[in-house]
Amino acid sequence: MSSLTLDGLVKRYAGTTALDDVSLEVRDGEFFTLVGPSGCGKTTTLRTVAGFESPDAGEVLFGGDSVAGVPPEERDVGVVFQQYALFPHMSVAENVAYGLRFSDDPPDRDARVAELLELVGLAGFEAREPGELSGGQQQRVALARALAPEPELLLLDEPMSALDARLRERLRREVREIQTALGVTTVYVTHDQAEALAVSDRVAVMADGRVEQVGTPEAVYREPETRFVAEFVGENNVFEGVVRDGRVDVAETSFALPAPDGRATFCVRPEALRIGEGTNRFTATVEYAEFLGEAVRVGLSWRGHDLVVRTDSVPEGEELVVGFDPEDAVVVG
Amino acid sequence: MAGSRTGRERSRRAERVAVPLAGLATAALLVVMLYYPVGTVLVEAVTRDGAPSLSPLLDVLRDPFYVGALAAAVRDPAGVPAGVGAWFVTSVADVLGALAAVPGAVLAPDRSTLGALAAAWTTFVGAFPPFGLFGFTAWQALLSTLASLALGLPGAYVLARFEFPGRQTIQSLTAVPFVLPSIMVAVGFVAAFGTNGPLNDLLRALGLPTVELLFSLEIIVLAHAFYNAPLVTRIVAAAWESVDARTVETARSLGASPLRAFRDVVAPQLAPAVATGALLTFIFTFMSFPIVLALGGLKLATVEVWLYDRVQQLALTEAAALAVLETVVSLGLTYAYLRYEDAATRGDRVASALKREPLAGLDAKRIALVGYALVVGLVFVLPLVSMLVASVTGPNGLTTRYYEFLLQRETTAATSQTKPGVAVRNSLLFGVGTLALSVPMGLVLALASLREGVASRLVGVAAMAPFAVSGVVVGLGMLQGLVFGVDVFGTRLAVGGPVAIVAAHAVGAYPFVVRNVAPLLGGLDRRLVESARALGATRARALVDIEVPLVMPGIAAGAAFAFAISIGEFDSTVILAEGSRAYTMPVAVERFLTDRTLGPATAMGSVLLVVTAASFVVIDRVGGRYRE
Repeated sequence: MSSLTLDGLVKRYAGTTALDDVSLEVRDGEFFTLVGPSGCGKTTTLRTVAGFESPDAGEVLFGGDSVAGVPPEERDVGVVFQQYALFPHMSVAENVAYGLRFSDDPPDRDARVAELLELVGLAGFEAREPGELSGGQQQRVALARALAPEPELLLLDEPMSALDARLRERLRREVREIQTALGVTTVYVTHDQAEALAVSDRVAVMADGRVEQVGTPEAVYREPETRFVAEFVGENNVFEGVVRDGRVDVAETSFALPAPDGRATFCVRPEALRIGEGTNRFTATVEYAEFLGEAVRVGLSWRGHDLVVRTDSVPEGEELVVGFDPEDAVVVG
Repeated sequence: MAGSRTGRERSRRAERVAVPLAGLATAALLVVMLYYPVGTVLVEAVTRDGAPSLSPLLDVLRDPFYVGALAAAVRDPAGVPAGVGAWFVTSVADVLGALAAVPGAVLAPDRSTLGALAAAWTTFVGAFPPFGLFGFTAWQALLSTLASLALGLPGAYVLARFEFPGRQTIQSLTAVPFVLPSIMVAVGFVAAFGTNGPLNDLLRALGLPTVELLFSLEIIVLAHAFYNAPLVTRIVAAAWESVDARTVETARSLGASPLRAFRDVVAPQLAPAVATGALLTFIFTFMSFPIVLALGGLKLATVEVWLYDRVQQLALTEAAALAVLETVVSLGLTYAYLRYEDAATRGDRVASALKREPLAGLDAKRIALVGYALVVGLVFVLPLVSMLVASVTGPNGLTTRYYEFLLQRETTAATSQTKPGVAVRNSLLFGVGTLALSVPMGLVLALASLREGVASRLVGVAAMAPFAVSGVVVGLGMLQGLVFGVDVFGTRLAVGGPVAIVAAHAVGAYPFVVRNVAPLLGGLDRRLVESARALGATRARALVDIEVPLVMPGIAAGAAFAFAISIGEFDSTVILAEGSRAYTMPVAVERFLTDRTLGPATAMGSVLLVVTAASFVVIDRVGGRYRE
């Protein structure tokens, strides 16, 4: 049973198409992430689900029922924004309790507020003003506020983007834990593909208002279906050529590639490109080497291709022989 | 439980329609209070003997009295260039000749210096284009604009660049002249610069010749500067404060001298603000009424004053034609202003504003500022003080007879005469009525103007229309439309003078609410409202719970303006109160002014000043609670 269905959503703004036939199914209790570069339509999708935008075509269905024309306040969704959007004239407790004013069976407010602040690790912060809190704390309050009325659907719009890297990693784990504990169906929007891979049950990669691929983080990383996904999710080395009888010619070099005859685009991950090893071997020029701590990232140029390889140490010399095995190449089109 | 749930459901349904309903109600009020009355004037201007006709408009356009050399243009379009060219050549030659005499007179001062300067000035001021009443109106507006810039720009410099005790108080005080009742200011100027005013007393004491400023273009221009220079100061100082110090520091580090950095970096950022202030001043002074009426009379009539006179003479068709032409001009200017303001204000808070220097110390710059302070005192403080002093000064020293006169009028006046107490009561009542109408209207219009799309831009322009439509025209329209009565489905509807006056005041006041509220509302993160709605609040609830508390300072400021506008409104009130007991304090001031002596008018003006100041303080206190 899918808890949220998007069926052929189209949204146009003066001259541009923000959403171009977006269809998705989000399952009950799932942590589902929309990821893509800015302007890909992920936030517009989220805002359409929340009811802040209405689609020019297509439908949003909650549990199988269309919510067309249903105003945001009737949709039973919780929303957390990147800029927190805490009500500055209300205390932390008033912020968290705000949504309880509108529930049909109002629970004991103070108890519920305390429970939620405890959940997000801010027990005892009731009387604080939003302005006194750090960014991370404000985001926790925003999360507590969104969860207080027990929404059917939790919508998170780049909630970590304003925070520093270390805090972001901690908070995203906490969000995931809370989500798992409550079992609330969650749609998460981010431009950070690493974050998407780290927290999601499933990911939808979007570009130019379209859904490029939907799948588990592992599937999206290991089996990208399009060149865009291959390059956007993680790093990749992309080659193009014409396949004939299991071999492909790239820049006048013949590689073994198990693919049907015809034009093919294929990718090799930096970690699959190995120095001095692999069936398909070639010599490339070293352009730069970056020490990352756990590895060294080496940029190569080879006959008009910019390639990246990961190694253990900074290579010596100006040239490097690298190679890959045919089964590590992923054909994306 | 079930009962309370249906109750909740019912109130939610009510909330859901609240915002659209408020929008409709506001639109309806605008139609009744603004568009319909002004529309009746428009129709009057294109009707003759009950049939549609352009002849009333053409009559005005063909009349040299109104449009001067342009009249020939309407009759004989080919003949214009010669007439305009001739004017241009002679007046430019006159002005240049007069100005050429100035350097010599100043360099070699002798007894004729003052005379020569005065002659040059008279030639310059008199060189207005030969375009009749419209030409003169534009000319005095242009001179007033120049005077306001000359008086206002140094103020912006001082407020933006220097730190001194009381700076913020002075900065807030710059809002005050704008809402001071103009008829009261006129009385103040008569008291200060009249034949026996303190200025001439001083000149006499110094053995200098006295000046006769009453009923002169100069005093009109000066009074206009009183109103509009603080406006220029406010707008330009705000722009100056938003100049990012880092841009200046960058220019300096690249090798620019302080002066050069000002010219290349600061001045271009101030230019839009200066232009905005100038355009606004021109619009206001083009339509200025009580100042010109009281200080210039019919001799120096502008379009607005002449329009009022036509109404008084019951030449309503001619008045309507004039009103339409005037509105076309001012609407065009206002449209230009709104377009320009839109482009000019980006309104970003700057990370690092320019540092102010202390004012203490003594150098050439600061001595010049002392001179400026004296001029400010002369223009802004002297008229008000003179009015207060004149109200307690008789031919034989201190006296309370003018106030006694007011009290006596109160008890013994015939019904047709003006009673001060009634005027005070009416003013306060109308002020409260104006608040009740204009604050909700302004809030709704501010909301509407912030939505995206063509419709909202139309709302934005429509909401600002009262800036462009003169009070006399609104008053005339209401008189003809609502007060005389309208046939609606066979029933004759007519509203009383007081209702019409409150409506006219609300029309003049709500744009100030919009202008105070809209920027704050627009600055709110839309996600605040979206968060509230996702949490279950209807649009109306989100407005009440989130937006209204957060823009309360703007609402309070808008309300203070609205009340002050109502208390001081003269243009439409004087028309609507004619022959009724619905007169207000400003109308009472004008009625006492037309009597032989200045005393009762200054006394009534002082009462008006006290009431205005007191209400401003009260509203500021009430609103101040939200200012944190």
